[in-house]
Amino acid sequence: MLEVNNLSIGFASGECLVEGLSFQVEAGGVLALLGPSGSGKSTVLDWITGTLAPGIQSSGSLHLYGRDLTDVPTERRGLGLVLQDGSLFPHMSIAENLAFGARQRLSAAAVDELLERADLGGMADRDPATISGGQRARVSLLRTLVSEPAAVLLDEPFSKLDAELRDQIRAFTWTETEAVPRVLVTHDAQDIPAHAQRIQLGDSAC
Amino acid sequence: MGRALRALVWSVLALAFGLPLALGLVGTGIAAAGAFPGSPMPGWSQALSDPRLLAAVVATLWTGLGATALALALALAALVLGWGRGWFRAVAGWLPPMLAVPHAALAVGLVFVLAPSGWLMRMVLEGPRPPSGWTVPDAYGLSLLVGLALKEFPFLLFTAMALCPRLNPDHWIKQGRVLGYSASRCWTRLVLPRLLSQLRLPIAVVLAYNLSVVDMALLLGPGQPPTLAALVLEWFNQAGGRAKAGAGAWLLLVVMALGFAAFAIAGLGLGALARGRRVSGIRRGWHLWHWPARVALAGALGLTALALISLPIWSLAQRWRFPDAWPSAWTLRFWVNRWDQLGELLSHTLILGVASTALAVLAAVVWLELERLRRVPRIDGLWYVPLLLPQVCVLLGWQSASLWVGWDGRAATVIWGHWVYSLPYVILMLAGAWRALDPSYDQQARVLGHGYAARLLRVRVPLMARPLLSAAAVAMAVSVAQYLPTLLLSGGRIPTLTTELVTSFGGVDRRMIGALASLQLMLPLVCFAAALVLPRIWFRNRQHA
Repeated sequence: MLEVNNLSIGFASGECLVEGLSFQVEAGGVLALLGPSGSGKSTVLDWITGTLAPGIQSSGSLHLYGRDLTDVPTERRGLGLVLQDGSLFPHMSIAENLAFGARQRLSAAAVDELLERADLGGMADRDPATISGGQRARVSLLRTLVSEPAAVLLDEPFSKLDAELRDQIRAFTWTETEAVPRVLVTHDAQDIPAHAQRIQLGDSAC
Repeated sequence: MGRALRALVWSVLALAFGLPLALGLVGTGIAAAGAFPGSPMPGWSQALSDPRLLAAVVATLWTGLGATALALALALAALVLGWGRGWFRAVAGWLPPMLAVPHAALAVGLVFVLAPSGWLMRMVLEGPRPPSGWTVPDAYGLSLLVGLALKEFPFLLFTAMALCPRLNPDHWIKQGRVLGYSASRCWTRLVLPRLLSQLRLPIAVVLAYNLSVVDMALLLGPGQPPTLAALVLEWFNQAGGRAKAGAGAWLLLVVMALGFAAFAIAGLGLGALARGRRVSGIRRGWHLWHWPARVALAGALGLTALALISLPIWSLAQRWRFPDAWPSAWTLRFWVNRWDQLGELLSHTLILGVASTALAVLAAVVWLELERLRRVPRIDGLWYVPLLLPQVCVLLGWQSASLWVGWDGRAATVIWGHWVYSLPYVILMLAGAWRALDPSYDQQARVLGHGYAARLLRVRVPLMARPLLSAAAVAMAVSVAQYLPTLLLSGGRIPTLTTELVTSFGGVDRRMIGALASLQLMLPLVCFAAALVLPRIWFRNRQHA
């Protein structure tokens, strides 16, 4: 279970972004953070990953399956993060992107198997710049999954996809990540699975 | 108007910029073949049979490749260890003035600090005599290697930092860290491979310079034999040595090609090794290089600072006996007594610098404007040509050609030489800002009824005041530092602070050398300070510029 308690985020100038935010997400559950641009949705994900920009102050606690992660360095939190552009490393092939995410060396067969699973067979040696947005989104998710994350954070992962592709990628995403807690940032209500919890940011007393 | 203007611009560019480079290379080749009077036999056999040649080639490759590798390692270490930290921002703020430091001044300062009787030993030793066991310069080229690395690492760091906003390291580091890699590993596996591929040209410029440098090699390099570039100059100065020097200069081109090949092969090997590691899945491990790199960086910055501070101190020292850490008596005597000579050198340096800078800035503005108006194409790679060709290779032929047409020894010829070497820096520095200027300002001025000249002079140039002044400061620094173009194109008839410093080093009192080097250092620093302060004064109530 991913647990955030009493999270407050603000700028050094005193301006407040998020105040007193608490939530719990069980394994297999989805929490959707909704809100207009600038309401702090992505900043909450940055806080969970431990990558808040310098000059932003925060308080609160973060637990993952009972382990306190609040002051744990980003690289030891064991989380997965999927961004809207996929953020595939441009100097690596698709296979190298996957291998970079893996916890141990991936054999060529393992890479092929992973790619087949995502309908991306034969693309191992492709340059990320030459594949479509939907394919990029799937590779990005696969790269996150091979890192064996204990929770997955999704920052508007479907927003750059066209309508038809969105449904496919949504289904792929929710199926592939169903074993772990998931936090989704979106401004599109259609991205949110029916069973998800919802938190609206930007209209708090902050 | 378009076609005629384009033809005119290309003709001027070819004649003023391309011709001396081409003519220089060809002239040096002709000299090597022994076609000039006073050459008893073709220069090639003379040069190849010189017993010092092989050792000079080895010294050239060792110092050039070693200094480039060390400078690159220091720059990348600074970036990886310092990115986002307070100390790094402070160092980054000092980079532009560090770029302006003339090579010769730094070399002299390093001798003042690192020699057995230098400042460093005076600070740590208490014995009556300087220690023995080493000299600066040394026979192995270590002093030259360190000096070149210290001079070039700020340039590589500055260039790398200029590329960083486009590469967005923070974004990729965040991605890598979430996947379980440390920030340092994210740098080495995610950011540096892309950064290095974009740094290839600046690294090539540094490598070319390090393999062909003359002034620093004369001040810090091994003496018997010197590096190949310095040996070529020595041959050139011998009676009837022009053909041998010409052949030596072309040999230097071959040695440079070898150096580039060696550096490229090493780079490819390291790249393959890094590719294997980045798909290994291994996250944990020791960062064994962090502490040595921190010590090396602190040492490099400290040594540079000490070297530069030592120059004015020596120029003002009346009595400074070993092992005193500071002079026991101070005096302005050397400045006052030698002011006639210093003033003349200063005025020559200023005249050459101001003229070549003004012409370089003017030419750069014309070129970038024509580029903006789509009258000429973008040819950024071309501007690197003079920076990649060894000066000695170009200038021996250029000097011969000047002699032949009777232009040698004239101030205009020397200004032309300085212009050819400062123009690339001005264009490369200015291009980014000029191309990024919002076209809507020009559009607004046009709609308001202003003609081309008014829009250029009242809108674009004032908006570009800061980058223009920075580029001018760089051009001035480049001009002040020119040794070989000044020496060869003036035929020794227009001495400047740099030529005098290199020529008289070792044979003149340290106080005089300190004064010369201090002046040489001060000129570009004053220009950089002016480039920083003037726009603030001119535009104190405005947001832009």
